[in-house]
Amino acid sequence: MDILKVENLKKIYGSGEARVEALKGVSFAMRRGEFGAVVGASGSGKSTLLNCIGGLDEPDGGKVLINDKNLFGMGENERTIFRRRNIGFIFQSFHLIPELDVEQNILFPLLLDYRKPDKAQAEEMLEVLGLENRRRHLPGQLSGGQQQRVAIGRALMMKPALVLADEPTGNLDSRSSQDVMDLLCRASEHYQQTVLMITHNMNLTLSADRVFQVTDGMLEEMGNAGKGGGHRDEK
Amino acid sequence: MPGKEAGIGMKSNRIENNVMKNNAMKSNVMKHYLDLVPVSAKHHKKQNWMTKLCIVLAVFLITVIFSMADMEMRSQMEQAVRSDGKWHAGFILDEEQGALLAARPEVEKTARYGALNYHLDEGYQIEGIETGICGFDETLLELYPAVEVMEGVFPDEKEGAVINRSAGERLGVEIGDTVMLTTPQGSTVQYRISGIANETALTARYDACVIYINAEAFRKLYEEDNGDAKEMVTFVTFQSFCNIQKAIKEISSQFQLEPEMVRQNVKVLMLMFQSGDSYMIRFYFVAAVLAVLVMVAGVLMITSSMRSSVARRTEFFGMLRCLGATGKQVVRFVRKEALGWCKTAVPAGILAGMVVTWILCGMLRFFSPGLFEGMPVFGISFPGLAAGGAAGLITVLWAAGKPARQAAGVSPLTAVSGNAGTVRAARKAANTRFFKVDTALGMHHAAGSKKTLFLISGSFAFSIILFLSFSTAIDFMHHAINPLKASTPDFFVYSEDNINAIGKGLVERIAAEPCVKRAFGRSCMTLELPGEGAERLLTVISYDEQQFQWAKKDLQEGNYRDALEGKGLLLAFRTDSVYAVGDSLTIPCAGNGLMGDNLLESGCGENDCKVPICGMLGNVPFSYGNKNTGIGEDIAICSEELFERLFGESGYAVIDIQFRSGVTDAQVQEIRRMIEESCGDGMAFSDRRIENRETKGASYSLALFLYGFLVVIALISFFNIMNCIAMSVSARMREYGAMRAVGMTVRQLIKMVWGEAATYTFWGVLFGCLAGLPLNRMLYHSLVTSRWGDAWELPGKELLFILFVMFMSVALAVRGPAGRLRGMTVTDTIGTD
Repeated sequence: MDILKVENLKKIYGSGEARVEALKGVSFAMRRGEFGAVVGASGSGKSTLLNCIGGLDEPDGGKVLINDKNLFGMGENERTIFRRRNIGFIFQSFHLIPELDVEQNILFPLLLDYRKPDKAQAEEMLEVLGLENRRRHLPGQLSGGQQQRVAIGRALMMKPALVLADEPTGNLDSRSSQDVMDLLCRASEHYQQTVLMITHNMNLTLSADRVFQVTDGMLEEMGNAGKGGGHRDEK
Repeated sequence: MPGKEAGIGMKSNRIENNVMKNNAMKSNVMKHYLDLVPVSAKHHKKQNWMTKLCIVLAVFLITVIFSMADMEMRSQMEQAVRSDGKWHAGFILDEEQGALLAARPEVEKTARYGALNYHLDEGYQIEGIETGICGFDETLLELYPAVEVMEGVFPDEKEGAVINRSAGERLGVEIGDTVMLTTPQGSTVQYRISGIANETALTARYDACVIYINAEAFRKLYEEDNGDAKEMVTFVTFQSFCNIQKAIKEISSQFQLEPEMVRQNVKVLMLMFQSGDSYMIRFYFVAAVLAVLVMVAGVLMITSSMRSSVARRTEFFGMLRCLGATGKQVVRFVRKEALGWCKTAVPAGILAGMVVTWILCGMLRFFSPGLFEGMPVFGISFPGLAAGGAAGLITVLWAAGKPARQAAGVSPLTAVSGNAGTVRAARKAANTRFFKVDTALGMHHAAGSKKTLFLISGSFAFSIILFLSFSTAIDFMHHAINPLKASTPDFFVYSEDNINAIGKGLVERIAAEPCVKRAFGRSCMTLELPGEGAERLLTVISYDEQQFQWAKKDLQEGNYRDALEGKGLLLAFRTDSVYAVGDSLTIPCAGNGLMGDNLLESGCGENDCKVPICGMLGNVPFSYGNKNTGIGEDIAICSEELFERLFGESGYAVIDIQFRSGVTDAQVQEIRRMIEESCGDGMAFSDRRIENRETKGASYSLALFLYGFLVVIALISFFNIMNCIAMSVSARMREYGAMRAVGMTVRQLIKMVWGEAATYTFWGVLFGCLAGLPLNRMLYHSLVTSRWGDAWELPGKELLFILFVMFMSVALAVRGPAGRLRGMTVTDTIGTD
């Protein structure tokens, strides 16, 4: 079943001479539990693609369907709530809430939903992340790797269908990068979550089911880099 | 490059890198690393604009308050000089002492002054008219500008005299004519009129005839008539920068003067900050407290904005350090940036302050032309400029110091790790147990940094503190200056024998004159009340409908309508009065209109009738009768119709006339002639125009400036709150973006901003009330209780007003950023630096 369907996605910045087509009619789909990696040069349109898929930015044309729901057919508020419940985000710069401790940061999407957090669920997540002993620490008291693990926990907490990661290891050393990749793979394999990750590091694409290359606003599937069994035909 | 990457997180680094790149490209222009300051400023226009606005507001507040205070002092000084003269002190001295005094180095000018027949009852007369005689040195005319020789000259020979204009007209004398003054001893002295002087408030009020002669002539007149020398006061002005109180003390001890032989021009000395009066010292203390409060409010506003401005750019400073800038260089960078803000913000604040002051001065001149002619519309207040400029510049540099040192201490790692700006060091986690996460985060944003909370809620609190403190000055004004009542006449005519001889037709004729705004009369009857223990006098006065309307606000109990309709009397309250509302007074009546009257009961005697007291007035705008008789006296007010029915008299004993603005002396004289022709002799006149103008001037200017202060404080409070919230939101925009990316709705974001604003407001109101109310009480005690004895009361209305302004400001302050957040996409927000 396709969790994510992107149809003819376009994004244009500026106008007149400064007009830049960041996305030129990108289409592809991903199934449940797939792990996709997006590579491309700086300024090729990777982040724009991810932002449009996540509903952070509005495209100028095309559709993004998540679980068959058109993301841009919704109002702003509805889209935000949909994003909160169905899409997990992981950023290069972590973007943790500095005023919340580790546990609160992980539970943040639940708290935004005004739901009472399930203690056992939080416990399990902390254990998976290896942060049981750091639950009361504030982000400022954590290393970069630990902060990114918290960000991953936050992204997975709502058990979203889709996890989007924008260079999640960009600010991390190799050991922390490996930890993060392990976590994302586990999410993809064990929880059957679809993961789409931007990276500059070709080595990391080895963990992906499918690898996409973005060049000048166009998407091309490169096939599976490491795991095998890609879905090239879906481009 | 075909695509544009809207990458999250790295955008700010890119901007700063671009800044560096741009500078590298312009290397032929950039000669110093500090040249980066203006380039960087271009990329932070919005944030810099907010910081500048904060500096502008603080400088504006200080400039406007100090300039207004300065202008108000100038205005009061002008009024004081006009009414009391510009002399500083007066000493009763003999000739020799006077000469020694004039020789003292600190003395600028001296002038001798003496007066005879001051109360117009000693028997010095010209053509049978009681005449006041003032003898002085010509220099006194400079020290007392209220007296001006309009035509001719001040006499330098002993036989010369200047006469006041109205007396000259009454006596029909002109310059060159002679007048004969008869003394109480019966001798006569001849004076040749050398000049005509204008009218002063006093001469006009008492319709007095006054001659001004020189000091030598005055001495001669008194000595020849009485055989001894008349004491004269030597008025003095001191040199600038002289310690006047010290000089007075030294002079008093040099000539061994008793305290009653020394006079001080209290108002003028007070306005020169030279008064030694204990009340005035308390007054200065209050002024100093208010000045310090204004300064502290300005400093707080600037400091809080500077902190937030520098703290927001930790990442940028980290990058500078990363590129090899030393800590000192970063400090210099921050200082230069701050100076750059001062370059535009301080002059803008000063200019805005000056413009507001000009508007107020213009208003003064517009609303009372003639009163404030001497006041410059485009006057420049140097104390205001200096206070605003110095406070702005020094505070900005001082306030930049701490964040600059913090910036210098930023580790280069913060820039390369990418953590700076996203993970601020929070010390404590937000409390999500008791509050929803959005509200909890908002509250934590406000309370997270104790210093920021202190500075921002401190600046909120200062709005309350300033407002409550300045409002005591309004209480002072209400006590110190009696503004003119609506009923106050400009010209007052009364029958000297207190008989109701002025026909109502005359009043109607006067009222019909184009220069007359209103004319109204009062009949008057003083009678002894029969029986009931102690003997009492009752003065019954008639009011027309307009006067009843004015009296309405003085009504303490009962109702005035019954009195207006002729059903009873209003009694003026007296502490020794034996009557109360509901009692009836038995009045011996002479009128014959009571036959068949159902309203008034017949009394004990044939012609007596009982008139009910239907109301009690707090006060009446006049006094009647002799206060020294020892007999209880009451004043009762009734309608004209009832007065006529009671006493059978329909004429008036008094006429009050109010003129339209621009009335000329000739028009007033015309009305006077009209009255004299109609009523003959036995009428007395009192021209209150000058006196009213002086009173009006003092109260207008004080009221305008004091209410002006309050409006400025309320406005500053409004702008400060708006700016603080906007700055706080702007500083956290990236964090908000991250929150939105993980699913926070705009509504929740706004709730978060509300939570933050509410926290600042809560602490601001708490600090403001805790400090403001005791301060209000202390200032009230110093200004009002110590002098008039009124007990302090909670300033409820003032507090409610400023709290209303604050809450409205907070509500509006949240609306702005809320709209901005709504209009921005998540990527815009997250990429905002």
